[in-house]
Amino acid sequence: MSDLTIAQKAVGGEIAVRSAPYFPRRRKRITGRSIAILVFLTICALFFAIPLYVVVVTSFKSMAQIREGAMFALPGPWTIEAWDYAWNRACSGINCNGLKVGFWNSVAILIPSLILSISLSMVTGYALALWNVRWAGTFLFLLFICAFVPFQIIMFPLISMTSTLKVYGSVWGVAIVHAVLAMPVLVLIFRNYYKDIPQEIMSAAIMDSGSFWRIFVEIILPMSGNILIVILILQITSIWNDYLIGVTFGGFNGQPMTVNLANLITISTGTVAYNQNMAAALLTAIPPLVIYFLVGKLFVQGITAGAIKG
Amino acid sequence: MALRWSRIAPQLALTPALAVTAVAFVGSIGWTIYLSFTRSRRLPEYTIDWSEWGRQYQRLFNDAAWGISLRNLIVLGLGSALAIVFGFILAAMIEREKRGESFFRTVFLYPLAVSLIVTGAAWRWMFNPELGIENVLHQMGLTFVNFSWLASAETAMWGIILASVWQSSGFYMALMLAGLKSINSEIWSAAKLDGVPIWRLYVEIIIPMMKFTFITCAILLSLGVIKAYDVIVAMTLGGPGQSTYVPAYFTIQALSASGNLGYASAAAVMMLVITAIVFLPLVLLTAWQQRRRAEAVR
Repeated sequence: MSDLTIAQKAVGGEIAVRSAPYFPRRRKRITGRSIAILVFLTICALFFAIPLYVVVVTSFKSMAQIREGAMFALPGPWTIEAWDYAWNRACSGINCNGLKVGFWNSVAILIPSLILSISLSMVTGYALALWNVRWAGTFLFLLFICAFVPFQIIMFPLISMTSTLKVYGSVWGVAIVHAVLAMPVLVLIFRNYYKDIPQEIMSAAIMDSGSFWRIFVEIILPMSGNILIVILILQITSIWNDYLIGVTFGGFNGQPMTVNLANLITISTGTVAYNQNMAAALLTAIPPLVIYFLVGKLFVQGITAGAIKG
Repeated sequence: MALRWSRIAPQLALTPALAVTAVAFVGSIGWTIYLSFTRSRRLPEYTIDWSEWGRQYQRLFNDAAWGISLRNLIVLGLGSALAIVFGFILAAMIEREKRGESFFRTVFLYPLAVSLIVTGAAWRWMFNPELGIENVLHQMGLTFVNFSWLASAETAMWGIILASVWQSSGFYMALMLAGLKSINSEIWSAAKLDGVPIWRLYVEIIIPMMKFTFITCAILLSLGVIKAYDVIVAMTLGGPGQSTYVPAYFTIQALSASGNLGYASAAAVMMLVITAIVFLPLVLLTAWQQRRRAEAVR
């Protein structure tokens, strides 16, 4: 493979000397080293896949079969009883209406906080990248620092402020805090994306008597498709997977799905229904997993861009 | 630059973000630092007794649970560093052997898409003393194996490390793979011509070339370790006893379970200090990288 890339470079004229008639060799037969590497990678893949396998088979078993202790065995009779229970009747605290409550809470948190965080940071990033604003450098540096601040140091002030605003203990409180905490990273990502827009485009647009908002709507927004999708995926997965903000600001009525799941698995009284726990874990994991398997490449871009956020 | 038009609009557009930064970040950090000098219990108190302003910090350093938290932070950091090593090995293997690249990448990365609560739930079940992997191994006759790590204080941190490594190795693999792909492919054939053994090529050339990627990974890992909270909740709730306390968990326990605001604030300030210690090299590194790039252009 590396020979081939060299050949391509040669054709490209970099080492034009020996480029004359070059026939790529036929694909090499598989070597011993390749086999060793593939075996190693397959073993590693098993290490990564086994927990998912165990969770899936456990969720389809009955408790009677689980008590037999064969963790890796396939379900005897496949049953969706545990799934049904986890979705409709599982208890989180004193509410026993299943994970569907948390699911809809998570959706209700997700949508406003996506709209809030993305619109706020998009406009800010645009203003910082393409307009002469005062203190832009200082503000960027401040945002960069804010992106790293541990949540615990602003936790109590935020609780106090959200209670004053009467949103503490509701999905709105969780949504607003998500938007606030995501803002620094998202502004930095948007700003880095927009600053590569050529100055000529901006000058022409300003000459054309474009105002700040008109340029944003007519020129910048249509150019933002790629970055928007990446950010959308990053935000959906990180908000959906969050636990700490949900448990801190959700109160009793605004708990997202992860909080319900954590309550379910850490319960210490009575007999533990492992099949229900695993079904609940899968139900919580399905939305981000679907996104991952559909648009994995964009997902990776998103998490690398927002790496500092994790 | 001749940006004369609508000078006011861009400045106004920044106001919401500025307000959020000033209130929710800068102001809140100041507020918490202030609270850490007070005797606040469940409700904030704003009088500072200047004769013993450092009272909460003094208590913190004498608290055995805080000591355990700090020690666990280091254990977790060193243990999770395996994820970087593992990620590099995986990336190097995938890079050498192109077959199945996208399949392996997909499998190695999927844990990252899943919440740490789900990760914790899955591993908690696998570590189950009666019905988990230990039981399967015992049935196979390997009765000497101890795999119920979460049940004892000595091994519980190892369980958390294993789950963290499982969750994050794919991420470091992706970063390393990007780094490896940017290395000029001529190095490989040059090494082949010179008959340099593969491992020496990696140790002496590839890894030094990728030092920025490694440093970035190390800093991201440290920041992630300081924030580690969800995985503790899902796997051990700090137990058995207080053996898996980490600063993030300690701070939130002090606030929500013990209702001790001043004390929790002092712990949060210490978390900020630890973050700053890790963060400083990152700023220096970015500056260094930019200077190098500028020199390269010149």
